[in-house]
Amino acid sequence: MTEVKRRKVHRRRRKAISLDRKKARAGWLFVLPFIIGLILIYLPIVFDSLNYSFNKIIPLKGGAYELNPVGFGNYQKALQDPEFTKVLVSGIKDLVFDIPAIVIFSLFVAVLLNKKIFGRAAFRAIFFIPVILSTGLISEISHSAMAGESYMGQTGAVDDGSGQGASGAEGIVAATDFRWLFQNMQVGSGLLEYVTGIVNDIYNIINRSGVQMLIFLAGLQSISPAIYESCSIDGATGWETFWKITFPMISPMILVNAIYTVIDSFTSSDSQIMTFISSKYGDVMGGGGPEISTAMSWIYFAIVIGIIALVAAVLSAYVFYQRRD
Amino acid sequence: MNKVNSPKIKRESKNKIKVDFERTNWFKRFRLRFLTGTSIAKGLTWLFRFVLLLGISYVILFPFYTKIASSFMGRDDFIDVTVKLIPRRPTLDTYKAVIENQGYLDGLLGTASLSFVCAILQTFVCAIIGYGFAKYKFKGRKLLFALVVFSMVIPHQTLRHSFYMRFQNFDIGIGEFGILKMFGIEQIDMLGTYLPMVILSITGLAFKNGLFIFMLRQFFSGVPDELEESAYIDGYGPFKTFFKIIIPISIPMLITVFLFSFAWQWTDNFYVDLFGLIDNKGIFLLNEIQGIPGILKVKGYPGEALFTAAVYSTEAILIMLPLVVIYLFCQKYLVQGIERSGIVG
Repeated sequence: MTEVKRRKVHRRRRKAISLDRKKARAGWLFVLPFIIGLILIYLPIVFDSLNYSFNKIIPLKGGAYELNPVGFGNYQKALQDPEFTKVLVSGIKDLVFDIPAIVIFSLFVAVLLNKKIFGRAAFRAIFFIPVILSTGLISEISHSAMAGESYMGQTGAVDDGSGQGASGAEGIVAATDFRWLFQNMQVGSGLLEYVTGIVNDIYNIINRSGVQMLIFLAGLQSISPAIYESCSIDGATGWETFWKITFPMISPMILVNAIYTVIDSFTSSDSQIMTFISSKYGDVMGGGGPEISTAMSWIYFAIVIGIIALVAAVLSAYVFYQRRD
Repeated sequence: MNKVNSPKIKRESKNKIKVDFERTNWFKRFRLRFLTGTSIAKGLTWLFRFVLLLGISYVILFPFYTKIASSFMGRDDFIDVTVKLIPRRPTLDTYKAVIENQGYLDGLLGTASLSFVCAILQTFVCAIIGYGFAKYKFKGRKLLFALVVFSMVIPHQTLRHSFYMRFQNFDIGIGEFGILKMFGIEQIDMLGTYLPMVILSITGLAFKNGLFIFMLRQFFSGVPDELEESAYIDGYGPFKTFFKIIIPISIPMLITVFLFSFAWQWTDNFYVDLFGLIDNKGIFLLNEIQGIPGILKVKGYPGEALFTAAVYSTEAILIMLPLVVIYLFCQKYLVQGIERSGIVG
């Protein structure tokens, strides 16, 4: 009889433990698809990719291949490619300069769109169009279309605002007018180049800041209106309210968006480095090939991870987190 | 102050009374109301804001307008220098040629089915995974979530060759070692089918799925725990709770994710190329309608380059059109879903 009792007690204790465990098990079940994919597909693929970058791939008959270890040979070859280093440096420079432009622009637009204004719904609908329509295939076709136009030069009947290069440079603000405006303001020529560059590239920047705008809007919506109310009672102006309330409250989003911008612009196939790497993929004759292009993209990846770490380190010093009680 | 403000009774009936106040004259009232410093400043900022938004909208919409305009232009419009933004001899020939000769409808069917299958799977799977991360504490959760971010950060171009090799000889394992091989089953060549895309979608590894998981996790963390607790008390298990309680309240967010994944799959160029869906006999996608239909080619035509551009624009419009229609239906949920997600914190 004591035996039975003890067993009962034992069973009850096991059951008490298992509630937590049951929840943990449910959690595992929910993320199971990802775990399966990670273990069975993704990690092997990442491993393979790293593996290829350290080997020479010798194709055999019937889709099979042989790997011939070359150590860091592919990386050396990649770095010795003068064009690659050139593209890499200019691409990373563009990336670094575009981060503040995109983040500031999207914050600015999000603040504008957050205020009550006539036709707000319509503006919002318009501003998020690029998220849907400026990717991959459509941007590629637009480029083909533009190539045709710029061939015709200035007499073109179709003036595309997205134009880069000769036909579209005059698109929005003529750089010369802008320069003239800035010359009287005694600012450095570096800043001048930067600002003119951004203004002429505004189409590109708008196209790339859609998701960031959405994230900022979400952040702005979550700031309690009571804070603004108390501010206006204390007599703060809109400018002060922005810098003292909105900006600190939105600063975590600035961090998220800066990192997202880096990830998004370097993983997008439109970026010039990615285009270059893709062109090297099939170019076995010109010192390319799958293994070289893989090695190149791992180099690029390492650099970008460095940039992300840097951005995160710098910004997180200024980020303000609201204490939650 | 004299008694200016005492009301004067003008007309009186049983249950109505009309009273007249002696009011300050309208000009003074107008001046005090609208011509003060603050209200002028307010009006100016409003105007500034409005004009700015209008300007940016113009920058966004103008390229679309030029595309649309040039797609309707007739052949002679491209030679005529005076024709700028409005077609003078509107024609539907370009559309007709693209639709009939470039296989637009077949491409539409192929791309729509692929995008729809992938988007539904991705939305569903990412919702499940995001929910697991948001609401359950289990060992290794942080590590796993770091791996989600990791899968978002590595560009798929880096993994291009590995993807290709993996799905050409599909097997589970690393390098030479494979489970299927071990059992003596022949490896499956999945290239040229939807299978690679479906497998990536089911496991939450497809394009930008890391972002979706992140968004949905943030959204589900904002859902109050009490909701689930009450469902548990009513005898629901975790999965029944998820399907009966959580899914219905998160429809706007799910539509947002669906819209993103649908649109990005629709315009995808990288994966369909990588997985051999282009130049494939069985499957015809919208990516393949690019090019100039033979009917439209004319020898010795001076406006050739512009006309070529216009044909490409027409193709771009035809590709975009279904997306625009879907976007117009979904955009209401887009902002709503994002607003409720409360990504902050």
